Amino acid sequence: MKGPVEVLDLTGVPCPANSARILLKLAQRAGDTLLDIILDDGEPMENVPASLEDEGHKIVARERKGKQWKLRIQKSL
Amino acid sequence: MKIYLDNAATTVPDPRVIKAMDAFLGKRVGNASSLHSVGFQAAVAVEQAREIIAGRIHARPEEIYFTSGGTESNNWAIKGIAFTRGRKKGHIIVSEIEHPSVLEPVRWLEKQGFRVSYVGVDREGIVSVGDVRKAMTAKTFLVSIMHANNEIGTLQPVSEIGRLCREERVFFHTDACQSFTKENIDVRCDSLDLVTLSSHKIHGPRGVGVLYIRGGVKIEPMMHGGKQEYGKRAGTYNTEAIVGFSKAVEIASVGDAVKVARLRDYFIGKIEAKIEDVVLYGSRHKRLCHIVNFAFKDVEGKPLAALLNKKGIFISTGSACSANSLEPSHVVLALQMSAASAHGAVRISLSKWTTKKEIDRAVASFQRTVDHLRKLKR
Repeated sequence: MKGPVEVLDLTGVPCPANSARILLKLAQRAGDTLLDIILDDGEPMENVPASLEDEGHKIVARERKGKQWKLRIQKSL
Repeated sequence: MKIYLDNAATTVPDPRVIKAMDAFLGKRVGNASSLHSVGFQAAVAVEQAREIIAGRIHARPEEIYFTSGGTESNNWAIKGIAFTRGRKKGHIIVSEIEHPSVLEPVRWLEKQGFRVSYVGVDREGIVSVGDVRKAMTAKTFLVSIMHANNEIGTLQPVSEIGRLCREERVFFHTDACQSFTKENIDVRCDSLDLVTLSSHKIHGPRGVGVLYIRGGVKIEPMMHGGKQEYGKRAGTYNTEAIVGFSKAVEIASVGDAVKVARLRDYFIGKIEAKIEDVVLYGSRHKRLCHIVNFAFKDVEGKPLAALLNKKGIFISTGSACSANSLEPSHVVLALQMSAASAHGAVRISLSKWTTKKEIDRAVASFQRTVDHLRKLKR
């Protein structure tokens, strides 16, 4: 059984630093890994999902929590 | 043969640093704040650099703010915290041996109505934690004591001062420009709220530095404009310099520091064995690996440095930022030495590339030059 999914809290981290931090985190992980990220609503939510999909990663779940979002990302193989 | 022994002033960039920077200079042109893919490459490089530097001081990436260097970071730490006080003003504690980029901002703040205490040091240049405690008042909001001194190399008890400040709910800033990567810095264990780091002291490029700001610490920006650095430090990212800085951090090793410390001790031993009436300033044991500071009886520091310069040996008298001053070193004066003694101080600073052969040649030149100057004087 796989361990708990790592969470990267990007509260307050602006674009495009937030996307960059996610890509760096995914690059450090093995293939087919999952990563949960916490993102602010607004500009981060408008930009980050698209930039991750541009890099081939999949957003497999998204959940709104007040003014923030929790996204589950699957690293591209 | 030219022998560069002024590495506390600045270092020669490592070729691996230049190579890392070269990948960005003129090739990857994007602005790290742009949202398109060209800019995004630069943003990834900046964030990677932030993670590397954060890791070296046990900080979180979002606590690392890039600046133009140590002077900006020191100014920002002190004025940025002071400006959050509004009309309350208040009291700041610094040591007498801080770098001018700490002393001048606090002197300026004094003119704006803040009160500043300057704590002294002992004969080795060490700040007493008890003196810092005694200087504290109910109005103290900031203590700034350097991690290690840039002229005499003395290491300060930052961990103990950090603990004291945390107990007293006072912000603690330390200027770690000289000690970064040479001494362990752990912002959590050492209870540090603000830390100044510089790139060009560790074989990185000039013109880039960092201010670590602990998460939750409120600070006013010094540079207003764009929203870079979480809106706290405006200005287009100097991507290639930031990349070079992080590469220098990656390269810097404990092994290098140990090697330099051995060479430093060899140099001190040789000078003390070969030249009479020499005083070593600073601590013998609590000293940075690369800085040595000597005074030779009846010899002025400036002519000694000038004559050695003619022989291709490059040293300094005090910090590079005050090397043109005719005033004696405020650091050596703080060691309770006479002004004449302070005028005699010369700083020799090594690097990971300094060799034993260079040290032997430098010692021989010191011997001849000191002897020559003493004959003129006596």
